[in-house]
Amino acid sequence: MPLTTYIDAITGALREEMARDERVFIIGEDVGAMGGVFKVTKGLQEEFGSDRVIDSPLAEGIIVSSSIGAAMAGMRPVPEIQFADFIAPAMDSIVEQAAKLRYRSAGTQTCPLTVRVCYGGGTGGGLYHSQTNTSWFIQTPGLMVVAPSSPYDAKGLLKAAIRNDDPVLFFEHKKLYRSTKEEVPADDYTVPLMKAAIKRKGSDVTAISHGYMLQLTLQAAEKMKEESGAEVEVIDLRTLAPLDKDTFLESVARTSRVVVVHEANRTLGIGAEVSAIIAEEAFDCLDAPVARVTAPDIPAIPACPPLEKFYMPSVEKIVAALKRTLDY
Amino acid sequence: MTKPQSIKSPDNERQREDFDSRAPLGETILRRLYSYMLKCRTVEERIRLLFRQGRFSGNYFAAVGQEATEVGATMDLLAEDTIAPSHRNFVTHIMKGTPLTLMFAHIFLRKDSPDQGRCAQAHCGYAPLNIITPASTIAAQLAIGTGVALANKMQKKASVVVALSGEGSTSLGLWHESLNFAGVHHLPIVFVLENNLWAESVPARLQSAVDDFSIKAQAYGIRGITVDGNDVVAVYRASQDAIRRARGGDGPTLIECKTYRWYGHSEIDPAKYRTVEELEYWKSRDPIPAMERYLQQRGSWAESWKEELLAEFDKEIDDAIEFAEKSPYPDSEEALDHVFSFSIRERELNRKVWAPQISTSG
Repeated sequence: MPLTTYIDAITGALREEMARDERVFIIGEDVGAMGGVFKVTKGLQEEFGSDRVIDSPLAEGIIVSSSIGAAMAGMRPVPEIQFADFIAPAMDSIVEQAAKLRYRSAGTQTCPLTVRVCYGGGTGGGLYHSQTNTSWFIQTPGLMVVAPSSPYDAKGLLKAAIRNDDPVLFFEHKKLYRSTKEEVPADDYTVPLMKAAIKRKGSDVTAISHGYMLQLTLQAAEKMKEESGAEVEVIDLRTLAPLDKDTFLESVARTSRVVVVHEANRTLGIGAEVSAIIAEEAFDCLDAPVARVTAPDIPAIPACPPLEKFYMPSVEKIVAALKRTLDY
Repeated sequence: MTKPQSIKSPDNERQREDFDSRAPLGETILRRLYSYMLKCRTVEERIRLLFRQGRFSGNYFAAVGQEATEVGATMDLLAEDTIAPSHRNFVTHIMKGTPLTLMFAHIFLRKDSPDQGRCAQAHCGYAPLNIITPASTIAAQLAIGTGVALANKMQKKASVVVALSGEGSTSLGLWHESLNFAGVHHLPIVFVLENNLWAESVPARLQSAVDDFSIKAQAYGIRGITVDGNDVVAVYRASQDAIRRARGGDGPTLIECKTYRWYGHSEIDPAKYRTVEELEYWKSRDPIPAMERYLQQRGSWAESWKEELLAEFDKEIDDAIEFAEKSPYPDSEEALDHVFSFSIRERELNRKVWAPQISTSG
């Protein structure tokens, strides 16, 4: 099997789904002639035409709203939000419309929509090209929030999201696009939504993460093994909402120690929910307090290297938290 | 006039018919317009009475006084056409054919309402007739309707969307994004702007510096027209013309209908911000007696007909209220239904507690 990058896996998923189902279309800023600012949609307009890969006006509200209406009327739109930092103008559409349409019509009007969102820091993008705002959507029932960490999962989860009948926010980390390679089947496959995966088996401590941070967590786990022989179990949440609780609870029941790692800021990030669930449903399992490695509660990521470095969780920060938890 | 594009579904005669905007309307159409206005008024006045009697909890946002616009803009839509309503367009259900039983079950927030008791009175949709369930964020329905129109175009359907909103909606970004996008993509949608001079308590002059809101259409390269929103014939002509153009592939139209709401923003708003003179002026322009006079001039009026209609409407309303009051409330746990395409009841109601497990491999 060929080694495929995260970005090529996503492009492949889009191409295959568009070829498989003529209801699937793409709309967003620069997605057509230019192929997207990161080139995720490169070649798709040439292949499928400008009616199915639509260069939209520069207006996130109508990008998502028109997709919601089209989804209601039988299409499978895959709008792109160029940077997660630009999603706020579409919040009414996402939160008040997409998340609630099924509920407010008692299931008679539905919204099979996949909003692709490019997120994440570590590239010097600064306040408006680096945010991780997954928490906004995790707190909105009715939305599914997916954030894959690897090429294989990215392709399989995106295909599953497009085929799913619920609105999905699909978060792609820009640092992963070209830094990660993995064997990805050329054949059709999907990865189940709402199902976490154990990415590394271990018995001493459970590290829970997703997205780009999952890759750093895996590196931290290797470092722990080299330095102290500790076996870290690494769980990839993959879907942040609705959350697969059983996979991490089952792990915590075995390891009794937990570190949660995410790039969103600390307050009410996914780590807060994971910690609360563990406290409620697996309190007797714990031998140490749950530790969180997260971004600090500051408005966004500062641009200059030392400030950004302070903001971003890192392998060193994760290793320190793992050691603290093991030594408790 | 541009030649309409070919239309795929041949089974409906009406959509192939060219609406001649200069020819006089026939008696049948005039009488239907009148009858619908009277029905809308009768239904809304009954709902207001029920509210004052405390028969339902919630609120209601009446379009009384605006019937010429409600009826003229939405009469003769096809079942597959979509209405994207605002909070004040409950009576457009009557125009599309939603049974009054379901409408009153909605007013009473019962299980038999189209959304099974979820939405407040202002938000009523009906999927079988393509009425989008509205939200309260103003102008959002125009953007969703624009998406439906995009899908209609992509699927090469001849269906159109009629999206309604008040003049207050023109201040929001999504209003402009919708018209702009519909213009760029030449979408089959008609934006009906009900300028009733007041957005809750704010007068139109504090909403926009223009006199005729329809000129805003120019900014988006689409047709814009202002009509007397209390003249049902004028609204119907303008709407039918715009619908025919949209259906034929000639793109969107913005129709501003200048009208007036007689009552407050909702039933709990006494509307003290308006003058008595202004209200009296607009009441003197009540579209229903105006249509009675018009029919009289044409020798097509009998007071007994109105009485027959009112008796028929009252009976239908009485039956609908009886149905609605007999309809149960949903079970409490149904609050967990229709969040996703799958049920979340199990995970919400039966949470498991985990105990320590000793690893056998370690």
